[in-house]
Amino acid sequence: MATQQNPVQYGKAIQFQLESIVTPVPVYAAFNRNFATQPKFITWMLRNVHQDVYTGQNQNNKGIDRPVFQISIFTQVIEEGFTISNQILQSLHGYSGLFGGVTNGFYISKADVQWLYNSYDNSDKLAQVFLDCTLDIPT
Amino acid sequence: MPLPAKVLPGFSASLYAQTGATPTPLTVAQLSTLGNVSAIAISGNQMLVEAIPAFGQDDAVANFMVAGSRQSDKIPTQSAPTSMTITAAWNPSDSVVLQVRADAYNGTVDRTYVVSATDGTGTVYYAFNARVGQFQIDAQPGAEAKAVFTLHPRGNQYGWSNTA
Repeated sequence: MATQQNPVQYGKAIQFQLESIVTPVPVYAAFNRNFATQPKFITWMLRNVHQDVYTGQNQNNKGIDRPVFQISIFTQVIEEGFTISNQILQSLHGYSGLFGGVTNGFYISKADVQWLYNSYDNSDKLAQVFLDCTLDIPT
Repeated sequence: MPLPAKVLPGFSASLYAQTGATPTPLTVAQLSTLGNVSAIAISGNQMLVEAIPAFGQDDAVANFMVAGSRQSDKIPTQSAPTSMTITAAWNPSDSVVLQVRADAYNGTVDRTYVVSATDGTGTVYYAFNARVGQFQIDAQPGAEAKAVFTLHPRGNQYGWSNTA
């Protein structure tokens, strides 16, 4: 029996966990980013929430969830972005245990972080680093 | 409640197992009797498996060749019900998977299993008596851990029925 997990919990847990890693750098869900006023900040986007569905008429015949969230790091100084990305890598990559704090967190079997690429946005004068993090969540 | 008269998706198939540590499997006649088979195919008995593998009857023939004869001949022989190797997402507390594990450990428990397929109106059932010949946990990272087991049906002990 595997019930469908709630993406609201995922969002709360991701927000908490990222904040705890990079504090005092502000962390936002993607819709709330405020790049005009801060020299460095992080946004995240959740995607690929999906549990495989299996045969028969039982709705709970499903597999585990392996959602991915993208972490976008924005900094005015390129090196700071790389430094923050290293903080996240050191803290999250290969991590297993409670994810997202006591209140809204849940146990994850593994977090798998992939450092995707860095970039620079000339119009905003912001350097960027993008990472993907895959979570394996027992259900 | 007719026999399904549509092409069915694979998702329409479910697998059920008789309950109890020492079950009394259905007789050959009962395996083709709707009332007996549908009593096993209830939600509490469902095995939450990923997919239903090929089920039915194996191919087996004897080849006869006679010197001087123009054609040889093939005679069906000893064609057993098909063994089913099944994969289920592994929940260590799943009572049906625990029962299969116990059967594999015992090795001699005969149990009736039922495959049902439905178009939402009618249902066709394939029932068979089998022993469990394999039980493995495949815990590869990258997906959920799997419980893999093989049901070996006993010879001649299967039947088809439907809700028509």
